[in-house]
Amino acid sequence: MPDEIILETRHLRREFGALVAVADVTMQVKARSLHSIIGPNGAGKTTFFNLLSGNIPPTGGQVLFKGQDITNLPLHRTAHLGIGRSFQITNIFPNLTVLENIRLACQALGKDNFRLFQSHRRFRQYEERAWVVAAQVGLQERALMPARTLPHGDQRKLELGMILAPDPELLLLDEPTAGMASEQVPELLALIQQIQAAGQKTVMLVEHNMNVVMSVSDRITVMHQGRVLAEGAPAEIAANETVQTAYLGGLYEISGQ
Amino acid sequence: MSAATNPYPPSRSGWLKNNAGWLALTLLLLALPFLAALLDGQTPANVLASETGNAKFMQGLLIEVFILAIYAISYDLILGVTGLLSFGHAMFFAVGAYATGIALKTMGWGLGQTLLAVIVASIVQALLFALVLPRVKGITFALVTLGLASVFSIVVRSSDLAAYTGADVGLQGVIVPALLNTNTARFRFYVIALLATVLVYLVYRRFVDSPTGRVCIAIRENENRALMLGYNTFTFKLVALLLSSAAAAFAGMLHALHQPIVSPNVASLGYTVAALLMILIGGVGTLSGALFGAAVFRLLEFFLDRWFGEIANSLLGLIYIGLVMFLPYGIVGTWRARSFQIKQGWDRLLRLLHLQHRAP
Ligand SMILES: Nc1ncnc2c1ncn2[C@@H]1O[C@H](COP(=O)(O)OP(=O)(O)OP(=O)(O)O)[C@@H](O)[C@H]1O
Ligand SMILES: [Mg+2]
Repeated sequence: MPDEIILETRHLRREFGALVAVADVTMQVKARSLHSIIGPNGAGKTTFFNLLSGNIPPTGGQVLFKGQDITNLPLHRTAHLGIGRSFQITNIFPNLTVLENIRLACQALGKDNFRLFQSHRRFRQYEERAWVVAAQVGLQERALMPARTLPHGDQRKLELGMILAPDPELLLLDEPTAGMASEQVPELLALIQQIQAAGQKTVMLVEHNMNVVMSVSDRITVMHQGRVLAEGAPAEIAANETVQTAYLGGLYEISGQ
Repeated sequence: MSAATNPYPPSRSGWLKNNAGWLALTLLLLALPFLAALLDGQTPANVLASETGNAKFMQGLLIEVFILAIYAISYDLILGVTGLLSFGHAMFFAVGAYATGIALKTMGWGLGQTLLAVIVASIVQALLFALVLPRVKGITFALVTLGLASVFSIVVRSSDLAAYTGADVGLQGVIVPALLNTNTARFRFYVIALLATVLVYLVYRRFVDSPTGRVCIAIRENENRALMLGYNTFTFKLVALLLSSAAAAFAGMLHALHQPIVSPNVASLGYTVAALLMILIGGVGTLSGALFGAAVFRLLEFFLDRWFGEIANSLLGLIYIGLVMFLPYGIVGTWRARSFQIKQGWDRLLRLLHLQHRAP
């Protein structure tokens, strides 16, 4: 089924007091696609992700994952369904090594979490997998350093590694390149695209670098003030008048590449 | 992409070698009463017969250190390892002490039944603390646990329950079974307290290294992230609370047997602060630091009191301030973080004193 829907929201809504951060967003995400969400600062992209991953409860509407209602699922259940979420602001275990950060991500979905009195090193499969993932995101050399000592760009890679470790079906990546040196950005996004294609994964991506978004995405949703302003293939979005005037015009230069 | 393999496969050899220091310390502590007896003109037989003297006295003091060490390490497991800030830890200890006192004195139970009562009580109180866990976080948890412990403290002090708890004076004259009589069989009690400390330390250390324990550390580091990875963090915190409560209540039991008085002071906030001080001195989250912290805490108190009398308390306060300022990560923590710099410092000092030749 090429058009299988993996994630769907119905009138999803979140208010913060009088502010409507996400207003009745109804959206469908096709399985195995790279679906980007763009929009100006404060458009509600992060809040939308928080609703999808269960970090904050919605004030209205529904989230469906593979047809199952996950709207009010406890936070720790989402990962078990095969959903991984990364954060705009680096969210790691700062005093643990890079490897241990990734290893914990691997162990989480295994069956050995309640082995109270055996060394964690006896459960080799998590450690082995962590090394593989560390290499995949290019952190093999720094695997044994405390995560807090990594430069910012490498912490972003670690954040991505922790999502990849349990091999989720759906990845929610909130500005994975935020704060990275601009020359590193295309490299990391290429990696994301490669992982998505090779692993037949669905990726939802929030990203501000328009050129990259236009080139890697299968589909783009534009958000503005909590609403969906437009949705379509990259070329359609680039050509969309409303998007041009309301958001892209002046702010971002979309070259016709 | 080439498959990466683990460049550091775990090795299972060398347990004894890695723990040689601990083994030596344990053996030394076992031999210490006899050494003290010999210096005092007594024979090893005198030690085994619990005869009055420096050796017996010293064992008594060290038993107190061991009990405090178990108590402190149980606090380190929830605070230092799991990141749960409880201000009610004294209750974990006091419940064990009171359960023991009441079982032995008021109920007239045997040692086995008493131990069972302590175990049950320790589980119940851990569940009680866990009850509030999902609802409150951080400083709120601290305040709620403080509240729980205060209620317990008020209850044991209340005159309505004087028949059981002895109210303000506490439980006097707990009837101690011959098997664990610290007065007539001090060396046996000493060995049991020492081995219990070693056992709790080893079990805790293994736990912290287990898959479960690693998640507890992750919760301390960033609970939200642990949840997002798929860990139901509540269960892990509950496990930590249960293990902590078990050791603390057991320490309380030993305390009640050793004294053999249970004062309501062990249920007070001050007693929680003592646990906090011990792990601050030793190094929060290091486990072994709690053991050293307990030794420093009790021995400093004892010797300052002996040497300086009245002003001992003020001196203690100053020393603690100094320790926390100069050893911000505690004895063990600072040692681990700085062992390299410390070595350099010593080298420099020795060079200054001309005890060592200048490095070429
Ligand atoms: N916890 C909160 N409490 C109150 N207001 C919030 C909260 N989180 C977000 N908001 C508000 O909701 C709106 C949407 O914020 P959100 O972070 O989702 O935007 P965004 O599209 O991710 O922006 P950016 O591109 O800067 O990351 C903003 O006006 C923000 O101030
Ligand atoms: Mg955002």
